Amino acid sequence: MKLRILFVLVASVSLWACQPEINEFEPTKGNADFSVYMSAGNSLTAGFSDGALFRSGQENSYTAMLAKQFESVGRQGAFKIPFINSEDGVGTQGQTLRTKFVMGFAQDCLGNTSLAPVPANPNATQQELAVLLGTSVAAEGPFHNIGVPGAKITHLLAPGYASLNPFYGRFASNPANAVINEIGIVQPTFFTLWIGNNDVLSYAIAGGAADAITPVEGDPGFGFAASLEAIIMTFKASATGGAIANIPDITDIPYFTTVPYNPIVLQDQALVDQLNAGYAQYNGAMEQFGLPYRINFSLGANPMVIQDPTIQTPPGYEMLRIRQIEADELVLLSIPQDSLKCGFWGSQKPVPGQFILTSDEKSAIESTVSAYNQVIANAAQNHDLALVDMNKVLNQGASTGIKMDGVLFTADFVTGNAFSTDGVHLTPQGNALAANTFIDAINKKYNARIPKVNVADYEAVRLP
Amino acid sequence: MRKQFILTTLLAMSFIALHAGGYQVRLQSNRSTGMGLTGTALQMGASSMFYNPGALAMMQTKTDFSLGASGIISRISFQKFESDITAETDNSMSTPFYVYGAGKINEKWAVGLAIYTPYGSSSTWEDSWAGRLLIQNIALQAIFFQPTVAYKITDKIGIGAGLVYATGKVELQKGLNYGADSYVNLEGSTSNIGFNAGLYFQASDELSFGLNYRSEVVMEISGGDATFNVPTAVGASIPASNKFDAALPMPANLDFGVSYQATAKLLVSAEINYVLWGTYKELEFKFEQQGELLNSVNTRDYKNTFIPRIGAEYVFNDMLTFRVGGYYDPSPTNEKYFTPETVSLDNVAFTLGLSITPTENLSIDLSYLQISGLQADKTYEPEQFGGTYKTAAYIPGIGVSYRF
Repeated sequence: MKLRILFVLVASVSLWACQPEINEFEPTKGNADFSVYMSAGNSLTAGFSDGALFRSGQENSYTAMLAKQFESVGRQGAFKIPFINSEDGVGTQGQTLRTKFVMGFAQDCLGNTSLAPVPANPNATQQELAVLLGTSVAAEGPFHNIGVPGAKITHLLAPGYASLNPFYGRFASNPANAVINEIGIVQPTFFTLWIGNNDVLSYAIAGGAADAITPVEGDPGFGFAASLEAIIMTFKASATGGAIANIPDITDIPYFTTVPYNPIVLQDQALVDQLNAGYAQYNGAMEQFGLPYRINFSLGANPMVIQDPTIQTPPGYEMLRIRQIEADELVLLSIPQDSLKCGFWGSQKPVPGQFILTSDEKSAIESTVSAYNQVIANAAQNHDLALVDMNKVLNQGASTGIKMDGVLFTADFVTGNAFSTDGVHLTPQGNALAANTFIDAINKKYNARIPKVNVADYEAVRLP
Repeated sequence: MRKQFILTTLLAMSFIALHAGGYQVRLQSNRSTGMGLTGTALQMGASSMFYNPGALAMMQTKTDFSLGASGIISRISFQKFESDITAETDNSMSTPFYVYGAGKINEKWAVGLAIYTPYGSSSTWEDSWAGRLLIQNIALQAIFFQPTVAYKITDKIGIGAGLVYATGKVELQKGLNYGADSYVNLEGSTSNIGFNAGLYFQASDELSFGLNYRSEVVMEISGGDATFNVPTAVGASIPASNKFDAALPMPANLDFGVSYQATAKLLVSAEINYVLWGTYKELEFKFEQQGELLNSVNTRDYKNTFIPRIGAEYVFNDMLTFRVGGYYDPSPTNEKYFTPETVSLDNVAFTLGLSITPTENLSIDLSYLQISGLQADKTYEPEQFGGTYKTAAYIPGIGVSYRF
């Protein structure tokens, strides 16, 4: 009997035991109309990651996340993305195509195996990658995400850009179009724009050795400010609201901060003496020219020797336009590690300038980024748009780190959770951080309540 | 035979419990449960060994055996801040229990053994829930064995004390940020000792007072098993099998109660429990291998709490006694360090109880406790994880006492 009582008691209570209800969040659109959302920008907007454009990267772009979050505040219909129909994807390295990077084990010239980014499919042929990149998906459009990897702000205004950049060519509705012509086809009511990174980054990734920084002033299609204005005005033909993000400092990006300036570690005094003897003549010549540069090696970590074509040696002495790198100058992630370890780069052989950002190049980039960001802030204000301060977020990530939903974001390569294996583009988790930063700015500007994403739901760099 | 069956069932059931402020569980007598979990100033026979060993000296019969259990059906609901993401726990029913046996040696002395489960916690979140990097599931169990002796100083004053031997077991699992299926699982058990001492004062036929102190018992786990499920690439820095040390305090309680026999049939009881949660400052994990990387100190910063309780008992007739009670149990947690591993909110509870006394010697005690954890916004700042929490627990219980 006792047991029966217990059983009946528990059973009846179980039925009655209800889940407590919490209903604290009612999404609201505030003063914005999210019914048709469109996003424009460069590789970051396209969902480029791990050095390539691939399907799940596109699905995990911050803009795809925003589109999903906007559904609860009135966004309608499909959010069309020009998907690459491959998980290995396709990216460019100079003139060659390759699949995305994954973390794998690679053997270096010394025979040491270590964890490093390796191609997802090293056997993919140039031809099949070219087909993947070259196949037009325009028939599936019009697309709501028109982010184009590699695009500068000026490119978005360039008619016929499809023929110059296959990442646009593959989804351009008309080969004669400029990217912004896609906007009128979709007629968005709300837009996001994150553009301008490549206007400095292309120069920076080339180590300042090729390409050029887009000037702030100049006509639409040439200058940053007028181009931005033209793009915003194109959106405003149909959109009543939008958000525009600024440009992060490149010194917060692991592509420029991972390789140290002084990786030449010498443990043998004989080698030190030999190197110093080798550069004695250089030092003598510099003294003779009245130039301040000297090359000296000592036991321990030494700054690498780099090429610097800006050194004013007299005619006939161009080969002496080399020097040791300063501590505040940056070495690019693209520097061949094997050349450093086994090819005497940085000690006997000067490192080519394309792998280095010198102080001059760095300060040119920094002052440009700050000028761009001023233009972007002004444009947001003039056009009454939400300003998304990505620069501040990445800066905070680089200096103190950012904790969100149990994830620690830093600017560290691979382990910092924000940046993917290419050192420039974001991981899905990094995209979630970007999406939440957009949502914060939009909620504030438009008095809306768009639900945020949970960054812990997304992946950081996947390790083997 | 029935008794045997109940005992078997009891032992077969797990004995985890959940949220009665922090991870304390006070379901140590179904009579007490019916009366708002008061008991410090009550003569509870063998059950007094937990609530106030001083009152054991006053036991009315020569021998008293009591045993019982409760079934905790608990629910936690969560909504993440600024988000439509919600989560619920899927907690299996936990069943704290008690077994008491006590007898009088002579007019002055009484002795007994109490076995009970005063601390426990169990929360099972979905593995992929929003806070998986903080906790996926946790189960904390403790069983206390307490040999007790009580002495009646005068007809009005009794004192008593027990030595507590506590065994405990903790298991917890949390996700790691190396992909959806990476996690660390920590499992350890330990034992320690403490004491329980009380003073009972029968001021008059109607009025009695009780004062009780149960010492802190720190569960120090040494060499617990840590299992890391992580990618092989990080296997060198995070070994799959490791050992860990951690210490979890089970705080001291200082209880003061008063009871009043208002009429021949109506007994009213009130008390204050002062729970010294302030001892729970941090949860520290130390690992045997790769300690520099893996060790962590996690701030908890609990504060001491006062729990006011009130209860009443009405003897309807020889067969039936009814009980009712309630209490308010404020959360000991810190605003900034509220983690989903122990969702302890400000609790408001009401209780009901019924005793059936088919014979003079036998009593069957039924109880029902319902706890509402008041909705509140909480954040664990070190991980920047916060949301709105709300809890409920529904706890039926049954016990039997046999006295002769």
